[in-house]
Amino acid sequence: MNQNKYVLPDEKERHLLLQSPLNGDGLMLLFEAGLIWLTTNQAYVNSLNVFPVPDGDTGTNMVLTMQAAFNEAYQGRSKNAGETAKAFAQGALMGARGNSGVILSQIWRGFSRALDHYETMGPDLLMRAMQEARNTAYKGVVKPVEGTILTVIKDMTSAAEEVVTTGASLSEMLLAIVEAGDVSVKNTPELLPVLKQAGVVDSGGTGLFYIFEGMVRLLQGQSLDASGAILKPLAELDLANAMETVEEGQDYEVVIDFAPNPGFALEKYYEDLAEIGTSIQVGEGDGIYRMHIHTELAKRFEPISYTETQGVVKKIMMENLQDQVSGGQPEEVELTLTPINPGEIAVVAVSPGKGLSSIFASLGVAAIVEGGQTMNPSVQELVAAFENLPTDKVIILPNNKNIILAAQNAAKVSVKQIGIIPTRNAPQGFAAMLRLNPEGSLEENEESMKEAIQEVHTGDITISTRSVEIDGVEVEKGEVIALYDGQLVSSAPTIEEAIQELLEKANMDEVERVTFFYGEDLNQTQANLLADAIRKDYPDVELEIHSGGQPHYQLIIAFE
Amino acid sequence: MTTQENPLGSIYILSQAIRTVARNAALQSYGVISLMPGNVGESVSRFFNKDADFGVLVKTEEDGVSLELNLVIEYGLRIKTVTDSVAESVKYAVEKTMAVPVKRVDVHVRGLRVSNPD
Repeated sequence: MNQNKYVLPDEKERHLLLQSPLNGDGLMLLFEAGLIWLTTNQAYVNSLNVFPVPDGDTGTNMVLTMQAAFNEAYQGRSKNAGETAKAFAQGALMGARGNSGVILSQIWRGFSRALDHYETMGPDLLMRAMQEARNTAYKGVVKPVEGTILTVIKDMTSAAEEVVTTGASLSEMLLAIVEAGDVSVKNTPELLPVLKQAGVVDSGGTGLFYIFEGMVRLLQGQSLDASGAILKPLAELDLANAMETVEEGQDYEVVIDFAPNPGFALEKYYEDLAEIGTSIQVGEGDGIYRMHIHTELAKRFEPISYTETQGVVKKIMMENLQDQVSGGQPEEVELTLTPINPGEIAVVAVSPGKGLSSIFASLGVAAIVEGGQTMNPSVQELVAAFENLPTDKVIILPNNKNIILAAQNAAKVSVKQIGIIPTRNAPQGFAAMLRLNPEGSLEENEESMKEAIQEVHTGDITISTRSVEIDGVEVEKGEVIALYDGQLVSSAPTIEEAIQELLEKANMDEVERVTFFYGEDLNQTQANLLADAIRKDYPDVELEIHSGGQPHYQLIIAFE
Repeated sequence: MTTQENPLGSIYILSQAIRTVARNAALQSYGVISLMPGNVGESVSRFFNKDADFGVLVKTEEDGVSLELNLVIEYGLRIKTVTDSVAESVKYAVEKTMAVPVKRVDVHVRGLRVSNPD
């Protein structure tokens, strides 16, 4: 059913639907509208999922549960509202997926029990159904956690109880339920601290809100189907073939991964992209959308700036197709690691990006382990990196505060003598490497390296993935944030402004040299433009720019 | 008991502490009505102390713990989904709050409570 484009009931049907009380057919239309509107907003609901386990599947689970319920009700549909609701609840029970799906199945179970054998549903019965739904949902748990879907169904029910006394019609009551649900969802972070910390509202509650909002949108004749354009699962995006058909004048291929803003309209997105380029494809997986487009040289940054208005950009990949066609493949950087003589000190560095790795290699590390912010290497990977080196003296540079512990554990399981320099980022790692004396003792080297890392300060520029308040700085989702030595110092709409504020914190009077390591989301030209601003304001400072190739961080900046 | 190291010294986490975290996570998990004593020892301790933390058995393994939960679940729910989700919640709560790897979670459904007969 859901595979086909949803067609709103025509005027005659809607007229029938708006007749209060509602029969089984009308109820089916409401359920269907709830399912479709939830499906439309599934990716957004997934992106909110932090409680109880942050696995990002609430939206999917609720959609699958609603889908199972709808299919069952469709099989057993009847003019009788009670029987339709009963089949719907049965389907929800059998198809319940995930925690939120189970709670949803209880909500429909209670809902249907109130409707038991009633031919039609009017506002009085809807209110009783909501009460039963709430009571049944709460019976399923001994220690209800507030600030979840339970709170939302409770607040929705209170709204129904309130408006029933004013003689509201069925659609007026549904509207009141949705409005109360909206307020309740927005309030969930106040009740559940883990939501507030993560800067999100409750995912299950939001899903329930969308189900009821879909019903109201149907009654008000609003569109439920934001995705008129084709949206494929990520795996189905045929990017390899798309690349072969390069059209005249389409020089650049741009691929952008982004998390869409709530209310993202795919159809409009396609239309606007068509103005910029050709071979447009959009795919979805795990709440992340991937957009693919071919553009001419002059327009190659337009898809990026446009997509930034539609969601939070996670990753940008850009390739010069003309270059590819003429045979110039992007080169894989070969790393030349320093061979170790027996008895010398070997340094193992954890590096988040190709460019940073090659700098570490040029500074003389013996082994490199890939890893960083969101991809911490395991203890085993660390041990494997130095286990076979012909020396018993090893120094580890974790280069990330989350990896220091893994390094300590690696030291414990190894028989070698291990020194750990608690470097929290790549620039500290570089500073430490400059002090390396492979023939010295482990203790001397450790001491000297630990000193060195005090002398370099580091700035990070990255994009916030959610709205949150940390260290007294308020951050909006999608804004550029700057960290100085790991402390959040600024949140700004553009990288330029974030750098400005970062420099104010960095005590530039005492800085002699600034080094930019630009990440995989920036190119050299962009990094140069950003650096120009610094050159203008601080003409005495030496400035270097290197490709770091790290993910997530647009820039890592070293101040010495 | 599990042991962790930090630069200042050792941290010992008793099974009792893990049990409390696991028990609370289980009771907050949707569909779980109560826990039941899992063995004779637990039954005895419940007999003498009705507030005892029974229902979760913690076994310390080489590199983590394995847990056994003995649950009563609400009738009318999809049991498989409830048990999957309680196992996941308990594992997550223990690993997140105590940094102890949870190797296994075995769930025993010891009974159902019928509060809404259909």
